[in-house]
Formats: sequence, C-alpha cells, structure tokens
Amino acid sequence: MLRVTGGTVYDPANGVDGLVQDLYIANGRIVDASAIADGARTIDATGMIVMPGGVDVHTHVAGGALNFARGLVPENQRAARKFLHRGDRRAGLGGMTPTTFATGYLYAGMGWTTVNEAAVPVLSARHTHEELHDIPLVDKTSLVLMANNEFVLDLLEAGEAERARHVVSWLVWAAKGYGIKAVNPGGVEAWKWGKNANTLHAPIEGYKTVTPAMIIEGLATIADDLQLPHPVHLHCNNLGVPGNFATTIETMNVLQGHRAHLAHLQFHAYGGDDWTTMRSESARVAEAFTANPTLTADAGAVLFGDAVTITADGPWQHLLYQLTGRKWGNLDVENETGCGIVPYVYKDRNLVNAVQWAVGLELLLLIDDPWRIFLTTDHPNGGCFWRYPEIIHMLMNAEFRREQVQQLPEKARQRIVLADLDREYTLSEVAIITSAGPARSLGLSRKGHLGVGADADITIYPSRPDHGFLFSYPRYVIKGGAIVVEEGDVREVVDGKEFIVRPACDERIEDYIRPLFEKVYTMSFANYPVEIERLRNPEVVVPEP
Amino acid sequence: MGGKITCTLGEVKNRADFIIYWGGNPAECHPRHFSKYTLTPKGKFVPEGRKGRTMVLVDIRETPSAKAADIFLQIRPGKDFEVATTLRALVKKQPVDPALVAETGLSVERLQDIVDRMKRARFGVIFFGMGVSMTRGKHMNSGAILSLTAEMNAFTKFVCMPMRGHGNVTGADVVLRWTTGYPFGVDLSRGYPRFNPGEFSTVDLLVRGDNDAALILGADPGATMPQPGIDHLARIPTIVLDPKVTHTSRLARVHITTAVTGVSAPGTSYRMDEIPLPLRPALKSPYPTDEEVIRRIRHAVAAKPAWTPAPSRMMAIA
Amino acid sequence: MLRLTLQETPSVPLEADVLSPDMLAPLTIEAIRALPVYLGKRQRRLADFFAVGGEAGDEIEIHGDLARVKWIGRAMTRGVLRIYGDAGMHLASAMQGGTVDVFGNAGDWLGAEMSGGVIHVRGNAGGQVGAAYRGAPTGMRDGVILIDGAAGLEVGMRMKRGTIVVGGPVRDFAGLQMKGGTIVLGQGAELRTGAWMNRGTIISLQPIPLLPTFSYAATYNPTFLRLYARRLATLGCVLPYDERQGSYQRYTGDAAVPGRGEILVWRPNG
Repeated sequence: MLRVTGGTVYDPANGVDGLVQDLYIANGRIVDASAIADGARTIDATGMIVMPGGVDVHTHVAGGALNFARGLVPENQRAARKFLHRGDRRAGLGGMTPTTFATGYLYAGMGWTTVNEAAVPVLSARHTHEELHDIPLVDKTSLVLMANNEFVLDLLEAGEAERARHVVSWLVWAAKGYGIKAVNPGGVEAWKWGKNANTLHAPIEGYKTVTPAMIIEGLATIADDLQLPHPVHLHCNNLGVPGNFATTIETMNVLQGHRAHLAHLQFHAYGGDDWTTMRSESARVAEAFTANPTLTADAGAVLFGDAVTITADGPWQHLLYQLTGRKWGNLDVENETGCGIVPYVYKDRNLVNAVQWAVGLELLLLIDDPWRIFLTTDHPNGGCFWRYPEIIHMLMNAEFRREQVQQLPEKARQRIVLADLDREYTLSEVAIITSAGPARSLGLSRKGHLGVGADADITIYPSRPDHGFLFSYPRYVIKGGAIVVEEGDVREVVDGKEFIVRPACDERIEDYIRPLFEKVYTMSFANYPVEIERLRNPEVVVPEP
Repeated sequence: MGGKITCTLGEVKNRADFIIYWGGNPAECHPRHFSKYTLTPKGKFVPEGRKGRTMVLVDIRETPSAKAADIFLQIRPGKDFEVATTLRALVKKQPVDPALVAETGLSVERLQDIVDRMKRARFGVIFFGMGVSMTRGKHMNSGAILSLTAEMNAFTKFVCMPMRGHGNVTGADVVLRWTTGYPFGVDLSRGYPRFNPGEFSTVDLLVRGDNDAALILGADPGATMPQPGIDHLARIPTIVLDPKVTHTSRLARVHITTAVTGVSAPGTSYRMDEIPLPLRPALKSPYPTDEEVIRRIRHAVAAKPAWTPAPSRMMAIA
Repeated sequence: MLRLTLQETPSVPLEADVLSPDMLAPLTIEAIRALPVYLGKRQRRLADFFAVGGEAGDEIEIHGDLARVKWIGRAMTRGVLRIYGDAGMHLASAMQGGTVDVFGNAGDWLGAEMSGGVIHVRGNAGGQVGAAYRGAPTGMRDGVILIDGAAGLEVGMRMKRGTIVVGGPVRDFAGLQMKGGTIVLGQGAELRTGAWMNRGTIISLQPIPLLPTFSYAATYNPTFLRLYARRLATLGCVLPYDERQGSYQRYTGDAAVPGRGEILVWRPNG
C-alpha cells in the first residue's frame, strides 16, 4: 500500500490538468482513499509533477530482427552504456540495441512502464516472447506482421475476405500477439525477388490482382471486424523516399472510415523528387491526417546522432546500403515477412537528415490534437528511446527549438517550416502524447491514466523551470504499485505483464491452414503456434463480439 | 564487415534455384538438408523440384555430397579465401591475375562461368560449412562469402547461411546476444559484457591458461582442443555437466550426469536459420536437467558474500 | 620518474589501464598504490602487484614479466612509458600522444585504434597491431608503431593513416581492409597481404605471395620513397630506395573491393 501526497497531478484522461491531489495505491492498482490503511508508506510529492507512466506505442526491443541487429554492431555495444551486475540487477548494455534486461532498466529509469514491440513474425514469435520475458519492469504488447503473409495475400487475391479474417485471427493467437502490424504492404513480398511495391494500386510481384491498397483495406477491415483493441498498425509504402507524402495521403484515402494507426509518420512526409530536392511536406500530411479522424499516428522523430535502422522494409534497407556503403543485414522469413538492418548516423550537416529531424517535430506541432499523435522515434530507427526527453524539451520550448534550426545548413532551413512554428506543448499535452493517448490507442483501459482502477504505473518528476529536461530524471517510478526507481536508480526489479489478444476465430480454419502450411513451411505444424506457458504473466484480452 | 544477407530455410525451399554448398558435406553431416530444404522438395516457386535447381559443391575433395551436385568445384586446401575474393572481383568485372587464380585449383574461366550462372539465378544461396570457417583464414573466409553474397544482391536475389554444427550452437548464440549483446566469447569479469574473439574465446583462453576454473556444459573440449588447452583443463578445477562421461569428464574434478536435452529435458532449440523450435521430451530420466543443476549451483554461489567491484571511472574501458 | 616493478606474476590476466602517464602523473605515491586493478573478476590495489617507487611524473618505467598485464598505456596523450619485460594485450590502445618503449615482446592489439604517438617494441608483437576492434570501421588513425621482431595476424587492419614498420616476419592479412597509411614489412609476410585494401601503401622488402586480385603495374623507384626513407631513418629504420641497389615492383588492388591500394615489393639488383 502506498500514498503519493501533495503532487501536481496531470491525468488528462480524467480531466486533471495540474491539480494538487493525493493518490492511493493498493494491490497494484490506484484505489480510493478509503481503501488505504494507516501505516502505508507515503511519498511526499509536494512540488513534484505526477503523471501516468509512459506508454511507447511503437518500438523495436525484442525478437529476431532486433537480435540480428545486435550481432551486426559489436562496436556500438562497446561504446554503449554499461549496466553492472549487482544483486538482482543483471549485467547488460544500453546503446542503440540494448540487451533485454538493460531495456527494462532504461525504460523504467525514464518513467516509461508499457512498451509495444511493433513487429513480430509468427514463425519466430516464440523468440520474441523469450526476449520479452527477459525485459523486466515494463508491461508489453506486441504486433504480428500480416501485410506480406502469403496465406493472407492469397486469400485477398481470391476475394475470400471471411476466410482471410479467420486466418488472421488464428495467426494473431498463434503468435500470442496483441494486434496486426502491416509493413510496406506487398513490398516485403516483392523484395523476396529483389523488387518492391511502390504503387498502391498496382498488383504486387507474383500476384495478378492484389495491390497494396487492397491489403491495407483488407487488414483494416479485419482489425475492425475482429474488434481488436488496437487498429491495424500501418507502416506505409515508400518509406523514406522523397515525394512519398503523396503515397501517405493516398493511403489515408484508402483507409477512409476505417480505424488505423500510422506508424512513424515522419518517414512518410517528404516532398521533392530526389535526394537533392527533398523537403518537408509535413503541413500537407498533417492536414490530410487531421481530416481523417479515425486515424492515429506516432511521430517516428529523428534525432541527430547514431541510430540503427531495423525495419521489415527490405528494399529500403538495400537502398540505404547502396547509398551509404555501410553494413547491411537482411533476413527474409518464409511466407511471412522479412527485415533489413543498416546502422546509420543522422548528421545535422546532412541536408536530408536535417529535413528528417525537422519533419518529426513539425508533425507533432502541426497536428493539433495530442490524442492522435504520439511520441516515438521508431526506436532505434530515428533515434534511441532513451532520448525521448530531448524531443519533449524541443516541443515545450520554441526558442530552444529555433536555436537548433539556426544551426542547420541554410539550404536545409529553406526546406522546412519548423522555425515558423510557435506552439509550445503544455505538461498536460506531454502527458497525452507520452501516455494517455498511446494507452487509449492501444485499448489498454488500465494504462495511461490515474483514475481509480488504473494500474498503479506512476512517474513522479521533480519540478524544474526547464520543464523539458526534467523528463530525463524521474524522482520516483512506480510500477504496479511497487517503487521500482528512486532518483534514477533501479531499486526493485519486478516482472511486467504481457497483454495478448484472443480474437474470435472459427477453429475449423486450422483444417484450411494445416495442409498449406505443410506444403510451404519447413517445420511441423504442431510447433508453429507459441505455447502460452512461454509468456511471463500473460493477460488475455478477449474482444467483445 | 559488409553484413549478413540471409533468410529462413523455407525461403530456400520455395524460391532457390541456385544452391552452392561450400566447405561442407551435407550428405553426411546434415543428412536431411537436401530432402527438406534445398534439392528435392517441391517449392512454391520451384514446382519442378530438383529439375528446377542447380547445385554447386565447392570442396577440397570429392565427398559423398558430390554425387548430388550438378557442378563440383575442387579447390586446393586453404584456398577458399582466394576463390571467394576472386569471385568478388569477377562479379564487379574487375581484373584478376589468371596465373594466381589457377593456383586455387580453378581457372578464371571456370570461376567466370560460376559468376555468370550466379547472376542468371533467380534466387541464389550459399551454405558454408566448417571447411570454410575452420580452415586458414577462419572468420575471414566466412566474411568473404558474406561479402560476396551482399554484393550479388545488386544483380539478383542472393542469400547465405552457415551450416551449423551439432547441438544448439545457434541457440547459445541467440540467447547470448539478447542477454549480453554478443554472440560468443563474452567476458563478464568486469561486471558487464565484453567481447573480443581471440582474447575471450574458449580455445584461446584455455591454450594461454588465462582462466583458473572451468565449467563445461554440452561440449567436449577435452577431445577437440589443442593439447596445451587440454593440459590446462586438467590442471585447473574443471566441472562437467553432460549426459555421458566424456573426454573432458575424465580430466575434470567433478562430473555431473544430466538428462539428455530434447529426449528427457525440455527447452528450445534454434535451427540454423535462427527459428526456434520447442523440444518436447519423450522419456523420463533419473538424472537432473542441466537447468536444475545450474540453478542449484547459482543458488549456492548467491549465498556467498558478494565481491562485486565498486563502479569507478575506470569503467570507461571497453 | 616513476618506477613500478611487478612483484607477483598474476595467476590470471591483470587489467591495469591505470598505468599511463595521464593517470599517474598528478597523483601521490600513496594514491598510486591504491589505484584499482582487476585480477580476473576481482578488484585489487595496484600495490598488491607492483612495488611503486620514485616520483610521479610524465616518465614511467615498468619492470617485470607483464605478459599477462593488459591495457597498459591505454588512451595516453603524453609522456614516456618504458616497459622492461613483455607487455600484455591492448598496450597503448587508443593512444593519442607520447611514447611507449617495450624492451621485450607485446601482445595482441598493440596500439589498436591509436591516433598519435610513437610505439617501439624491441621484441615481437602479436596480432591486430594498430587495428580496429571487431566491427569498428577504422583502426589506427595516425601515429607510428615500430616492431623490431615478428608480428602476427591482421597487422594494420582497417588503418586509416600512420606508419607501421615490422622488422621480422609477419603472418596473414597484413593491411587487411586498409584505408590509408603505410606498412613496411622488413621480412615480408605470409598469406593474403593487403586483402581487400582500399587505399594505402604496403612496402615489402622480401617477395610475398599475392592475392589473384592484385595486378602488376610497374617496376620503378618511386620518388616519394626517397623522402619516406629519410623520415623512417629518423625513427631508426632503413628503407632501400636507390636504383643502384634495386627497384620496387608495384602491384595495385584489391580488385575485390575495388580498391586503389598499392603493394611495393623490393627487388634487389643482380
């Protein structure tokens, strides 16, 4: 049992905007004052800022792709922050591809308490869950890759929408995932022959009728029909390509009326025709986005410095390898998806990188409704998650932001609009884009708020005049009612939960899948679904029909 | 180095029409490889099966695998690096010295023909074995094949994959990477993970005698290490966990018999393409599992007074 | 001058990155004695292994069989370090300035990723001299490494600038993936010299086997060598260049990259 007294509370989901309030915690939840006995420990949060724990709606922290990346960059690990073994604190390394235990310590140390692993192939989902099992202190969800799954594509080609829905449902449960991820629809499949899918309405490589647009619309419909807590989570076609804003707006048209979440929108808001003319089109993307109220998005902002691009967008990674001559990793997963990895450095002297840096911030500032745009860097693609406080600082401080813009090359400044934007985020808005908004989008009703019944995931920051940097060093982090971090130090290590979804599914669909599986896969069908015993503390969500 | 371009085995089964086995003998060492993944199965995009595929075997001598090959390239021992490097140049239409190429046992014309076939392939794959990774050049030989593969992708789809040894080598690699950041040769003596093959890799530690105790699980270095390494294992306190009494057991202080993983002990095995497979034990064993034994040892060690060094500014060392 | 003498050979490797002028010069003898060193997994005091005498300053002498002592001279920027005995791995790793003299042998990773300063090993060195650590794009960025004896594998791997001179025989992969700088091989090398090199110069005073991806360009006496030889002479190295004594055969490569590096092989007259 715990009391947090005298803090200035920001709980936007419950309309609390900087009120001094007390919080009461028992059995891992926020409770009414009457439920607390005397003798409960009290945290005196007078003069401090209290927010619900952070929720990262899109990150890459576990599984085959991320682990592949770890192996590719031993030199990054050498330079990474060191976590010493001490008691029940495991040894580890931070950096761009943190080891599993360190990932938990880093997120919790920053006040984030729930993370969404954004890309899981069904075939290696067991591996993802083994890694999630080893990430302490945070709760997890994970999204299952579908947009290049050949069973699904074949059914969409045949016009068998209902069967496709059952197959998707079966696959999400087999992978013990939480929702549907769509990456470069059709493009990853085309990459298996060395090609891509650049046009939304052109049939994809190896198929006669099915187009990226059909896949997008098909999966969005399925997510809605299955009433998944989180809508289809979409990485649009043509990521990173100058002029791709048109594809993004076209994609929004395809999604008309459907719920959807657009991932790392920054990478999809470029104008220009080529690298030399590339510029920001954040305004047009923001406008189209705002006009489509069923959509949410996350920023995918870029920060100058080291990054590792890890994405199921194989063709893009080959291109990056050819452009930069850097190391390149690629792993195609049979019948389902693939991933490409290229370590990268974003430099402020580089025209393209400067535009990318500006676009992420522009989107966060131009999209008025913080309930629809969330803070991410598509970690580790745009930058490391443990640098989120830097972005918050720039969102809250227009002058600081302008100073950064002034340091960019003249040519870059002509391609962006960031210097013209005066908006400064309030603390309440920060709480929304880092916690309340993503929690709502993920359909996690006990996350992202501090009302009675919520999970007791609470971050307490010391108050400082330069609000932005206060986010780097929470004074206390409470996870499930336990004080896990105090003054930047992990005090107690607790295990998080994994939220998984069990959507409605006609069990007979297994009879359809099994013979196909045996033909094109390379393992026994009995070994394909992940055993629920593998997951640490699973919490199964069953959508109401 | 350049990078690693690979895929899962089903991609090979469904798409590959040009398969190179280099420095390995799958017929004897991976006996189901041809029939499950590479030559005979009907692939989704290779419905003709064997007829739609060309297999090239590269080795220093004709092994039973050669019977299954369409093309057998016999190279002289220790010349894998030279051959792979030459191929890299030919792929880019760069000049090579014919006389020096001929020293590999293969002519420029032969290698040029292979390059042309590789470029004409729809989906090529190179499987490389210990004949590459364990001969003179070692990791550079593997690196040469990895680089060649990456560079071939400018022309057509090409992947490569190491032919892993017995046991769960891939699983150990995968787990070490996610927990420590490094695949093998991990040092934790400074309280955090460090990696440096040659300094912290097993054979080097043992041959130099850099360690003063050893715990051996699922391996038999007493049979495979150079003699100075074996002598060192015999000198220091060595503990072996194994279902059988091994060469290493015979020179160890303690041998603990454990249950056979996969037969009596559960777990997960990672296939050579890093796909995890659950192990479902079929039989009971009177012996404890490796996991049980390690847990008990850890528990006992944890009861000892801590020695953890205080963090200092010296921690900047890598 | 500070004098350190190893009293007890460590049973397992001892990591002593505190042993550099930068670290020791500002300290009192007592403070030096208390500095941490790492014996395997245990933290100990420097004085547990070394007798410490003299006066702290920029000049340091270390005596004893230090073959198991790693990281001596790490990241040093100034001063003089003299080692009387063998030195362990990572000697003068990331060095930026000053000089290191070893009157004995050195282990692997000598001068790895250094960017300045002069190292002179009177005996043999191990592998990865002036090299990049695994996965890193660049090795030595500048500086001079002189080895009187033999050296091991991957000498100068991914070096970008600077000079490495080895008097004795060298093993495989000298100049691997070189980006620039110069390597002089006084007694040639074994296999795969200059493998995958991009730029840079390898000068071999003995014939060496070459990869098929190197092409013969010319036999001549390059003008720059005359100047270079004079520079090396100041470091105590003799480089032949006179056409009355012989010429260099120039090979370019590595075509596998394709690179524009060069290997110059000395051919004495007669």
